[in-house]
Amino acid sequence: MSSTDKPSSRLREIASALTPKLTQKNQISLNLSLAEASKVGPLLASDVSSKHLWLGIYLSALPLEAIIKTPTPAAVFESENGARKLLLANKQAAESGITPGLTVNAALALMPSLLIQERNLVRENQVLNELAEWAEKFTSFICIEQPSLLLLEIAGSLKLFGGVSLLRQQIVNELEDKGLSTHIAIAPTPLAATWLARAGHKVCIRDPRNLVSKLRAVPLHALHWPSTVCTTLNEMGVETVGEILRLPREGFTRRFGKICLLELDRAVGKYPDPRTRYQSNERFSIDFDLEGEQEAAASLLNICWELLLQLEKFLLQRQLSVQQIDLTFFFFRKPFKKIELGILQADNIAQRWFDLLKIKFENLDLDAPVIAIRLCSGYGQEFTTVTDDLKLSLRQKKYQDISIDNLVERLSARIGSDSVYGVMTVDEHRPQCAWQPRLLSERMIDHSSRLIYQENNHVPRFLTELKHAHNLVIKRPLWILREPQPLSIDNGMPIYKGVLDFITGPERIETGWWDHDGISRDYFMAVNPAGVCLWIYQNCGGKGSGDWYLHGKFG
Amino acid sequence: MPDILENLLKNPYIWQGQSHIQQADLECLPSGYSKLDQHLPGGGWPQNSLTEILLDNYGTGELRLLMPALTHLSFPTDDSDSGWIAWIAPPFEPFPPALKEWGMNLSRILIIWPNRFKDILWTAEQALSSGTCAAVLLWPNILDDVASRRLQLAAKKGQSWAIAFRPFNAQSQISAAKLRIRMDVSAEGTHLNIFKICGGRPVIVRDYAS
Repeated sequence: MSSTDKPSSRLREIASALTPKLTQKNQISLNLSLAEASKVGPLLASDVSSKHLWLGIYLSALPLEAIIKTPTPAAVFESENGARKLLLANKQAAESGITPGLTVNAALALMPSLLIQERNLVRENQVLNELAEWAEKFTSFICIEQPSLLLLEIAGSLKLFGGVSLLRQQIVNELEDKGLSTHIAIAPTPLAATWLARAGHKVCIRDPRNLVSKLRAVPLHALHWPSTVCTTLNEMGVETVGEILRLPREGFTRRFGKICLLELDRAVGKYPDPRTRYQSNERFSIDFDLEGEQEAAASLLNICWELLLQLEKFLLQRQLSVQQIDLTFFFFRKPFKKIELGILQADNIAQRWFDLLKIKFENLDLDAPVIAIRLCSGYGQEFTTVTDDLKLSLRQKKYQDISIDNLVERLSARIGSDSVYGVMTVDEHRPQCAWQPRLLSERMIDHSSRLIYQENNHVPRFLTELKHAHNLVIKRPLWILREPQPLSIDNGMPIYKGVLDFITGPERIETGWWDHDGISRDYFMAVNPAGVCLWIYQNCGGKGSGDWYLHGKFG
Repeated sequence: MPDILENLLKNPYIWQGQSHIQQADLECLPSGYSKLDQHLPGGGWPQNSLTEILLDNYGTGELRLLMPALTHLSFPTDDSDSGWIAWIAPPFEPFPPALKEWGMNLSRILIIWPNRFKDILWTAEQALSSGTCAAVLLWPNILDDVASRRLQLAAKKGQSWAIAFRPFNAQSQISAAKLRIRMDVSAEGTHLNIFKICGGRPVIVRDYAS
């Protein structure tokens, strides 16, 4: 869906726009005078612009529509040097003679029932951002042009939406449903689209060669140039872009500076015009205020489900998935409570989170009515789907309800993620350091299992090899005590429910002096009268030298 | 009259010894100890069911009894994501270097420490019915007949092997386990008292490892 290469749809356009003759001209075009540019204008559009197609959406009544949505007469005013003047009035107000530029007092005198509010730039910005998020379903490249304008790069989206007119129609329809008055213009350069939309010219220019001729009619005020420039140009009798293009290039630069000239060049596509892309929020966060206080888990779960659905929508729009979400419950006059839900493989399906949440709720003690809920997502990752191995799934006879990831997630949700882990060995002589818990994250599961599986091709032989356990050399106990247990002494020898019979040992383990946790021990394997096989040691050297400890059982 | 008898025999609560064992239930895994295998129907540990091991003290050889079979299970024969061995609320920490010595696939070990008793059974049921665990070892404080039946059903559903370790005094309690073994550890060796066995005859295997 991105605006990047879609060769088939665009090859023809490019081919028609680019003949060798044209590219040659492009290289020298920057040095041409503006007068020349206007003469040979249609031929000068460069290939830079032909690759893209920009759709400008100008929200002509944004200051009004952002804050007032009533069908009664209404207007927005702006304070300028202490004078409060109307900026915009809606249709109903305009019918009664309320026009922009009136002072607030004059307007109220004309129409006492008029609803008047001050312009709210923050709110306008918010509406623009909301629209940009909405527009992300049409294209991946959007930029916001302050004030009141959105630019969508649609060249890459045309095929998906069935052509430019269908796409445009869909955008117009959806904007109408939102109750916004808009002007839409389509042009090969972003600046041209901006100007045309602002001017209210509802044109669709796909061929760069037609660009200049369409731009000619754009009035000066749509350019949003500094007022001094506009006044001077007006005094010169220049009122449209077409008339500017007829001015000599050098003189124009001398009078109005390079920036205005650069803008003109960019608008006609002679000069590249890179834009910054609108970046939507990477994290999802939503607050929900409950209408009354809620304590029943069932109704809270329902609300959470709604929030999770919104999260799902958010993630799907961005092709993202998340690994962690936080749910915070707010109480009246009590500290809030936060629930963290994590899954091993990032996902964007609401149902998956909901299943975990249900498990969490079984053990949750909210002990007070909830007044608000907040849902925050962790950072999004690019969503990737895994294709099942066809061969494997055919071979797999065993019933498999859920994957190990699901199982670990479920267990972690209920009993805490610290309490569910795998293990791995560490190359260390000290028994307590010879292993460590292994996090069961997605990559490790896949990696280690495959690896070991491949290493041990002799799997079926295992059982025969293990036929008699005593064929194996077992030097370590299957059970290890977290803290070695001191053994009592009888006649100078350690006892554990009776006199011990030493089988093997001593095995001296003396290491670790470098990290202040050094040990110096003699380990023995010993059996007590009941036949229990123990792993014991005697400290040799240092504090507590000669003491006996039980460290493990051979189980 | 024969109808009544037939109906009675269909009652799942009536246990009929070896005559009525279905083939599907008879999936067995050699224990690695030939002396023990001789006494187990099918020649090994009954899979897809609950096995109970009763002992005096934890750490007296209960793992040694199971290690060959568990080691085998930890290497799934197909390249799938199964073959996990779950350890639920063990009495001590399992020592990975020793598991490695026994040849176990460490990447398939899953250790779970539920904080509360009822979570042990819940966890076990989840792990058994998930279909990813080849064996689920659990150390419950209490296991009544309802709980044991649930575990038995979960094991059957997930085609897994549940192994519950329980103290001696549990012998008198009712259990739905297909196999119940008491381990008597003495200086002469470990005797296995198989006092309930589905499809076999109760027997005492003296010094099974010899």
